[in-house]
Amino acid sequence: MKVSELAEKTGLNSLNEYKDREIEGVYISDMVSDIITGAKANGILVTLQTHKSLIAAANLVDVAAVVFVRGKKPAEDVIELSQKAGIGLFVADVDTWSFAKKLNELGIK
Amino acid sequence: MNTCNHRWSMINIQSGYLVVEGCHRCKARSSFFSTETVPPVDDYQQGEHFWTYLGSFQAVKFDLACDRCQEVVDLSDMMGLMLSTCRNPECEVARIAAGGGRGTWVYVALCADSTHASGKCVSDAGIKALAEYFNGNIKDPDKRIIVVPCIMCKSIDTCEGIVIADTGLTDIY
Repeated sequence: MKVSELAEKTGLNSLNEYKDREIEGVYISDMVSDIITGAKANGILVTLQTHKSLIAAANLVDVAAVVFVRGKKPAEDVIELSQKAGIGLFVADVDTWSFAKKLNELGIK
Repeated sequence: MNTCNHRWSMINIQSGYLVVEGCHRCKARSSFFSTETVPPVDDYQQGEHFWTYLGSFQAVKFDLACDRCQEVVDLSDMMGLMLSTCRNPECEVARIAAGGGRGTWVYVALCADSTHASGKCVSDAGIKALAEYFNGNIKDPDKRIIVVPCIMCKSIDTCEGIVIADTGLTDIY
């Protein structure tokens, strides 16, 4: 499933232009340092964390898209950095658990 | 000479704290990784230095091992990674980033001693293995990661970048 298809099926709000990549997994973490050891290339990262260092970590491991849950929106410089990296940023109005259930129902694990 | 086309994996992954200290005499900064439940905050003297606790960040440390030849690269001399955003034309790291073109990202491997008084930094083997590991896992054909040691920065204390570290739970906003 492509990132754009996931966004459409789960009602995500897009924050930037992004590379529409094929999703190959999902990782959930609110710790920046944890991301570089856990997240994988072409994966979706689900988080509450909106700090710019999250994008530095996500870019290093080649994450395809980041979903901020509970309606959290990052600052403009975070969006700019993500756009430069081609990482899609999205906002989900639901909490982490609810969004994880949606991913599971769509077969993304 | 090892001719293996390495395929690196992370091993010895440890969660802990990156503790940063400063010497009020020479203004040097030093850091170490602690796996204690609570990071140590004591001041102490070490030779000519008087180290004072400046702060700590939740962090992760790891080494790299090759799945093919079993070579292990010890990364105990690396305290963290920083995405360089430096634009100082006098800084070698900024020049590398500028010369890399679109899709090239320069990450600085940070060692424990910002003064580099001993001349040591993250090892060449560590830098090479980190670059091979991260680039080996990238699936975006337009992206390239360059890893450089922090001794290459004109001044690591003033070099601009985004450090991959958790500065505390209060920073989750």
